[in-house]
Amino acid sequence: MIAAKGICKFYGSGENRQEVLKGVDLNVSDGEFVVILGVSGSGKSTLLNILSGLERADSGSVQYDGTDILRLSDSELTKFRKAQVGFIFQQYYLLPHLSVEKNVRMGADLAGNRNYADVIEAVGLADKRKKYPGELSGGEQQRVAIARALAKQPKVLFCDEPTGALDEGTGRQILDYISKLQKSSGISVIMVTHNQNIADMADSVVRLNSGTVLEVRENGKQKSAYEIGW
Amino acid sequence: MVIGIKDALKFIGISIVVCCAAFVCTLFLNYNLDLKSFGNIPDAAIPLYNAQLSMGKAIAAISGCGLALTSVVLLVFYLKNYINAHGKQLGILKAMGYSRFSVAKHFWIFGLSVFLGAAIGFLAAYLYMPTFYRVQNADGLLPEFAVRFHFELLLYLIVLPTLAFACLAVLYAIWKLKAPVLNLLRENCTKTIKAHKERDESFLKGLGSATLKSKKLLIFLIAFSAFCFSSMVQMSLSMFDLASETFAWMILMIGLILAFMTLLMSLSSVVKGNAKTIAIMRIFGYEYSVCSNRILGAYRPFSYVGFVVGTLYQFALLKIMLGVFFADVDIPVYTFDWKALAVALFAFVAVYELVLFLYAQRIKKLPLKSVMEE
Repeated sequence: MIAAKGICKFYGSGENRQEVLKGVDLNVSDGEFVVILGVSGSGKSTLLNILSGLERADSGSVQYDGTDILRLSDSELTKFRKAQVGFIFQQYYLLPHLSVEKNVRMGADLAGNRNYADVIEAVGLADKRKKYPGELSGGEQQRVAIARALAKQPKVLFCDEPTGALDEGTGRQILDYISKLQKSSGISVIMVTHNQNIADMADSVVRLNSGTVLEVRENGKQKSAYEIGW
Repeated sequence: MVIGIKDALKFIGISIVVCCAAFVCTLFLNYNLDLKSFGNIPDAAIPLYNAQLSMGKAIAAISGCGLALTSVVLLVFYLKNYINAHGKQLGILKAMGYSRFSVAKHFWIFGLSVFLGAAIGFLAAYLYMPTFYRVQNADGLLPEFAVRFHFELLLYLIVLPTLAFACLAVLYAIWKLKAPVLNLLRENCTKTIKAHKERDESFLKGLGSATLKSKKLLIFLIAFSAFCFSSMVQMSLSMFDLASETFAWMILMIGLILAFMTLLMSLSSVVKGNAKTIAIMRIFGYEYSVCSNRILGAYRPFSYVGFVVGTLYQFALLKIMLGVFFADVDIPVYTFDWKALAVALFAFVAVYELVLFLYAQRIKKLPLKSVMEE
């Protein structure tokens, strides 16, 4: 269970000081799929960074089962990220000089997961495990990033616009992978996107505007990646 | 895109190496030219005369060629990094229709870094020359002679190297710009990596070997810095017993400058080139000490190989120089200097590990978010 309360974040100083998050509250239950929706500049990526321990808020708290990660030291935060979270980014951030298998092992080795080959197979890349990122298409690279994140066996998966750099077909495929793997492994997923259609796949949707939560709604029935609009 | 003097000044590493090369070569070649101008040499001074002439040629040739080759390697290294960093701008120019030559010709400006280093080294050599001449003839065996300026040295040690390096920079840029526009425009991470057989090993082990394979030139530079440190420090320590203190200090200073410059430049490049890898590892929860051990530590064995080669090189060089050139001159017999080795090794381990520690701290302070956003 994640409970964020009163998250405030400022950038810049003096006249350029800008409040990016203005007291955001958010709760995520175990195994829940949450989509944070917002236009560019609404603060959604900053919120994701703070929730995942990549960035510190200026005030507020982010509790993971009672532990406030904003009060952790840098090395404690590293341990927290190691044990709790996985990431999928819009730009993939794969290591270009390592094969698909090694990239996935980056996550798997951290968790002592020896079954990383199963994860590679689950994202449909078993025959490409010896290939390098530069030899793969964008969609395949993103699937490697998903496998890398899931091989780490995280409790929470953070996705920052995971389909932002992909075409519709590949984007749907990626969302389908994330959704299926989330359901089968029971992890929580927090996904940031500006695509309103993706919100139909989530358990709950948080709409952010200019650093403030406009709306939190729960979806009665989740759609699959192939049912949503694009 | 206009390449300016500011860009050329960033190639300060080349200026330092060229400065050392110009300093040593000017000093010994000018001395040789002045020495050769003597008509009558007293019989007692002939062995010393011949030895000094031969040694001057040997030192100028060995250090000049060695440092010139190093400068070429550094120039290529810097240019490669420069073109990688500015790939997008160069790609856009090509896409707009500029020819390879019209873009590459601006790279001549990097020859200025050679001009700067050569000019400083040349001037410094002339300033130091009176002292050097006194030291070379400390026993007073040779007739007194004054320092004379030799114009041909200005041509050979400043003008020609500057032109040669400017041409080299342009030619290298022409060759690199042969790459298709899209390759130049793409980010490094999407470039095709040459496939190689990958062993079934853990991520961290694989990362270590992949880091080394991805930038082979850095292996050379780090080994070279250890080579410079080892050979020059040991040689200078031996020189304190075999030759003059001034000579020993000169070798020591040149060795330390070269060693530190190449080491700092290589490690900076390692950290910079792997910033994203380190950032993503840290985001996933790898501790900074693990990141720095794997990335920086991968080069450690090569630095020690460089140290061993440097030790053997300086021993062979001193043995040959003293055995061949100074065979007829009364100087102590040279044997391997174990004390110098111990001092150099201790200093090397201390300095190298301290530098690695400082760079590890840099890795610790890498701002994850901004690195990822680059």
